[in-house]
Amino acid sequence: MSNISKSVNNKPWLGWLLFGLSLVAVFCLGLLASSITERRVEAQMVNKPMTALGKTEAKNELWGKNYPREYQSWEATKEMDFSSKYNGNVMRDMLEEDPNLPILWAGYGFSKDYNAPRGHMYAIEDIQNTLRTGAPTGPDDGPMPATCWSCKSPDVPRMMEEHGVAEFYKGKWAGKGAEIVNPIGCADCHDSETMNLQISRPALKEAFERQGKDIEKASHQEMRSLVCAQCHVEYYFDKSEGKQNYLTFPWDKGTTVEDMEAYYDAIDFKDWTHKISKAPMLKAQHPGYETWKMGIHGQRGVSCADCHMPYKTEGGQKFTDHHIQSPLNNVANSCQVCHREEEKTLISNVYERQDAIKETRDKVERELSIAHLEAGFAWEKGATEKQMKKALTLIRHAGWRWDFAVASHGAAFHAPIEIGRILGSALEKSYQARMEIKKVLIELGYTGEVPLPDYSTKEKAQKVAGLDMDKLNKDKETFKQNLLPEWIKEAKAKGKLL
Amino acid sequence: MGKIFKFFVPPKQWRLPVTILLGVFFGLATYTVYVSKAWVYLSDDPAACVNCHIMAPQYATWQHSAHREQATCNDCHVPHDSALRKYYFKAMDGLRHATMFTLRMEPQVIKIHEAGAGVVQENCQRCHDHLTETNKNLQVSYQEAEHGKGKLCWDCHREVPHGRVNSLSSTPNARVPLPSSVVPEWLRKIKK
Repeated sequence: MSNISKSVNNKPWLGWLLFGLSLVAVFCLGLLASSITERRVEAQMVNKPMTALGKTEAKNELWGKNYPREYQSWEATKEMDFSSKYNGNVMRDMLEEDPNLPILWAGYGFSKDYNAPRGHMYAIEDIQNTLRTGAPTGPDDGPMPATCWSCKSPDVPRMMEEHGVAEFYKGKWAGKGAEIVNPIGCADCHDSETMNLQISRPALKEAFERQGKDIEKASHQEMRSLVCAQCHVEYYFDKSEGKQNYLTFPWDKGTTVEDMEAYYDAIDFKDWTHKISKAPMLKAQHPGYETWKMGIHGQRGVSCADCHMPYKTEGGQKFTDHHIQSPLNNVANSCQVCHREEEKTLISNVYERQDAIKETRDKVERELSIAHLEAGFAWEKGATEKQMKKALTLIRHAGWRWDFAVASHGAAFHAPIEIGRILGSALEKSYQARMEIKKVLIELGYTGEVPLPDYSTKEKAQKVAGLDMDKLNKDKETFKQNLLPEWIKEAKAKGKLL
Repeated sequence: MGKIFKFFVPPKQWRLPVTILLGVFFGLATYTVYVSKAWVYLSDDPAACVNCHIMAPQYATWQHSAHREQATCNDCHVPHDSALRKYYFKAMDGLRHATMFTLRMEPQVIKIHEAGAGVVQENCQRCHDHLTETNKNLQVSYQEAEHGKGKLCWDCHREVPHGRVNSLSSTPNARVPLPSSVVPEWLRKIKK
């Protein structure tokens, strides 16, 4: 067989033919490559917003123009039409339903006012209206720091971008009243350019960093919980040297109730001093993310969004339902994606767990409020700090555990076993505290029953907690009539609020 | 081997241009592999399937279904009885998809074709055989069902797992791992 070289030498047109054929082949290959490139560019265009949004656009209405379905479902968080056995989306006065609470939180804002949570649309309205934020008369007045805004609005990342993170936390809550005006919405979770989920609150990123983890490496499925973990977590305001109410998650030692307790004990932190017992108390905020992780859904990788924002079909299109709510109001799209049982059965499964947890919770609340009152009685009888130390530490730990178990609302369902365990130890510590106080009273020569005040209603309990509710309510009204309308006027004039 | 090579060796004076042209050809071929991310098709990662963005509705609906906990695309959509059949099917199916996509022949509503449906029916039964063992009518192949000898799984379980609607526009704004820009990060940085 002679080689191609000889054939071409004999018939030069053969060389040209080969050249032509390879030319066609390369040309076609080029077409294929450019077609693939073109279609990949299409993929880039799929999710481009129709009208461009600023990097930290806080006005949810503007995002809504690009994403009408998501926006309209988000607006539904304004609905107040559903009550489950223990939660839902309606205004409920928790202090009235449970008069132990003003005793347990005596000396702390929550004893003044505490309602069941409503939808995200109410975030701004509710923080403005609650007695906990007091009745400021000017930008440097009031009981609460600016940090209290951190979770309430997409205006927060905007302000942090404009002024810096540490700067944002500085000053009083009232100082940023005219800036933080749009309720929790789009920019809290989404990147305005790519629409990808993003972490907009530095506290979560920083907590991950201190644990040696990189949040940027989180998968999309993890992000569907982590965006919620920006707020639905335990946190505190770091006032240590050089810091002014810097929002911090106490996760350095871990995220269990004991880990965080050890963290707080190590830095000798307290949220407040109890008005009756004088115990250095910790307030669990709402460790929803931490408790979810300890339950079976969290352990199996079912994200927050899977149940609280399931897929929704509308006119042949599917999208994520941004009506973030109790899955019990939407069992078909949430629970029943995986569980084949009937709606009735599934709901009763939830209630069964909640009922069981509530049984122990009620016991803890009863014993712990008595412990506070008995400690108060011991102080009256002339107990010394040294004598009370053991009892107060037990009260601190019992209070922390109780609050950790109840504060996130969903914990009784999210992690019933862990919450049962935590409440068990809270009950144990409450009893131990009461025994320690009894010992102190005996040392002081008092052996009778400790007389307890009547705190069977909210009003009576708030009186025991030493609150002047009439004044608080009156001042709040003045704030709502004077300063609040000014904030809204200013925000509208500056184009911060539509 | 050496003989074949010798057969193709061009005349001496042509060697340089031919070498360069061969480089151009293989370079372009390498670019095609790169831009199509061809290597990911060897994996079982569902992200490979949204290399073509028109598969986003299928990915998004699967990702929101209970099946995402147990089954990837390949678990249902390629045969698992023998490695030979698996890769033969995968190759044929992949080439068909690539052709349709390149020639822009994709329909607005993508529906499974016969060979694919047969494989899915097999795979339903592969994992869920305990559910069908009491009823012979449920243990039918795609061909048997087509001839009225029983029902296909999704004749009843119509929502599993992708739901009923799957047009190209059925999941607007779905967050799926679409391939990012062709231009690598370092090159974009140079531009800036």
